[in-house]
Amino acid sequence: MKKTAALLISLLMVAALFTGCTPNSDKNAFKGQIYFNGSTSLAPIIASIGSTFTEEYKTWNKVDPSFPETDIAIYVSSGGSGAGVKAVLEGTSDFGMLARAIKDSEKEAIKDYHEYMVAKDALTISVNKNNPICKLMDDISSDLAKKIFSGELKYWDEVDPSLEHQEIVVVIRDLSGGAYEVFQKAIMGETLISENAIQSPSMGALATKIVENKWAIGYAGYGVYNKNIDNLFAFKVDGVEPTEANIIDGSYTIQRPVMFIMDGEPTKAQQAFIDYIYSDVGKAAIIDNGYIPSK
Amino acid sequence: MHTSLDKIVSRIIKLLAAITALLLVFITLFIARESIPAFKQIGVADFVFGSKWYPVAFVGEPSYGIFNMIVATLYVSAIAVAIALVVGVGAAVFLSCQANQRQRNLLYPFIDLLAGIPSVVYGFVGLMVIVKCFENLGRSAGESVLAGGILLSIMILPFMISACSETMLKHREAYEKTSSALGVSKWYMVTELILPASRKSILVSMALAIGRAMGETMAVMMVIGNSTKFPTLLGKAQTIPALIALEMGMVEVNSLHYHALYAAGLVLMLLLFAINAIIMSVKQKVLE
Repeated sequence: MKKTAALLISLLMVAALFTGCTPNSDKNAFKGQIYFNGSTSLAPIIASIGSTFTEEYKTWNKVDPSFPETDIAIYVSSGGSGAGVKAVLEGTSDFGMLARAIKDSEKEAIKDYHEYMVAKDALTISVNKNNPICKLMDDISSDLAKKIFSGELKYWDEVDPSLEHQEIVVVIRDLSGGAYEVFQKAIMGETLISENAIQSPSMGALATKIVENKWAIGYAGYGVYNKNIDNLFAFKVDGVEPTEANIIDGSYTIQRPVMFIMDGEPTKAQQAFIDYIYSDVGKAAIIDNGYIPSK
Repeated sequence: MHTSLDKIVSRIIKLLAAITALLLVFITLFIARESIPAFKQIGVADFVFGSKWYPVAFVGEPSYGIFNMIVATLYVSAIAVAIALVVGVGAAVFLSCQANQRQRNLLYPFIDLLAGIPSVVYGFVGLMVIVKCFENLGRSAGESVLAGGILLSIMILPFMISACSETMLKHREAYEKTSSALGVSKWYMVTELILPASRKSILVSMALAIGRAMGETMAVMMVIGNSTKFPTLLGKAQTIPALIALEMGMVEVNSLHYHALYAAGLVLMLLLFAINAIIMSVKQKVLE
């Protein structure tokens, strides 16, 4: 008796595996799923906005009465900005997420290019607040920053003779991360970052390292800098302070756009979700993740 | 009825055992398959002995050489095993020969608990205690191979202690009465009888510990600084698991960089197999 029951249950479970696979025959039918793919920086933001959206409405007819009563499903996968562009080109995803400016070649390849700027991400050049250099200068030239990060200047007294003879501890993000690329383009140019730099696995770890080490310097992201504002000191770069206004108008240059793109016009359902991203709920999620909403 | 049921059960168990063995084969095959493009394009020698890791070329050409990472992985593990061997064998001798049953019952759970602490917690402690300690001693940055080695030695201690002390306890039970009847002192018994008899289990525990040490990712990544230069004792370095963990999340799928990370994983696995094979052959020699 028990065995028959077990058999029945397992058969049911196998059957359940296939129930999700009903073929979607009608192309013009309402599509309840939205797919995002791309940047690992944007993915958590879209995923969190997506889950609040799904929790709030559950089915599409509650978003807009003209929509059918289908479940809302927003799928976010991350594989880097390059994968985002590729997913849009190949049509495997509705939206591609990017945490960098789009290349002209990529833009040309997409037939009906639409972009949606979500946020700006900036990097501050930060040191520990107890570092005596904070009292000497509040402005770093991009040339000096380049010399420090490339390892050309190794000790603080080489930056200013009045400082102690202490090694400069350079903290960066890992080589393949987006922040590395932004900093390389904005500050380093053709110069390589020192091999002696500490690679932090996350922005949080990078900021913690600077907070914990008096002689450290690193490119803390704008969001993480603001969370540690009591213990970090961010330089002006070439005279421009890293403030929200300066980042949005583009005068502070160590920054990158965070956006998503698509090929063609969004459907009504997709538009509803895009509007939700630009709503106050979406903005809050963007700020929570340490970025500056662009609109 | 019972015999047929037994047959079925025994078949199922055999199948499960086969699946477990096959898992290892499949994992190795999968990693090998994913790393073939990297070996083809970079070349095995350039990949294993190349000293420059610069996979995303913002300036100049990309370069994929993991030699520094291989050395760092071996270096950190060797330090960890060396420290853990001394402390672990000492602790095992204490637990098996000096402590009484009550003390043992009290201490064993603590040692087992050491093994249960998540590695990220170890990493955090390492960052706040070991790295900080180096910095207070005058290093500008405490992240170093030595810091990683010390932290790892604490993490592998429970494996060494529990593998050694059980056999030592058995040996003590075997030799104790004869030793005391012959009027031999306890420490003579430990150094001349128990320790030599436990060589095999010490080697086995080393094999276990090295495997654990070389594969440890999170804790080491947090205290070693992840710099790609050649490792020195007090300098920063990067291990292979740390390299993979740091870069796998960002890498573009199916790019050369992606395959190179798989290849690094394959090299790590082969290194582990080789080291285990060496330890096993040493064990054979010891037994002879």
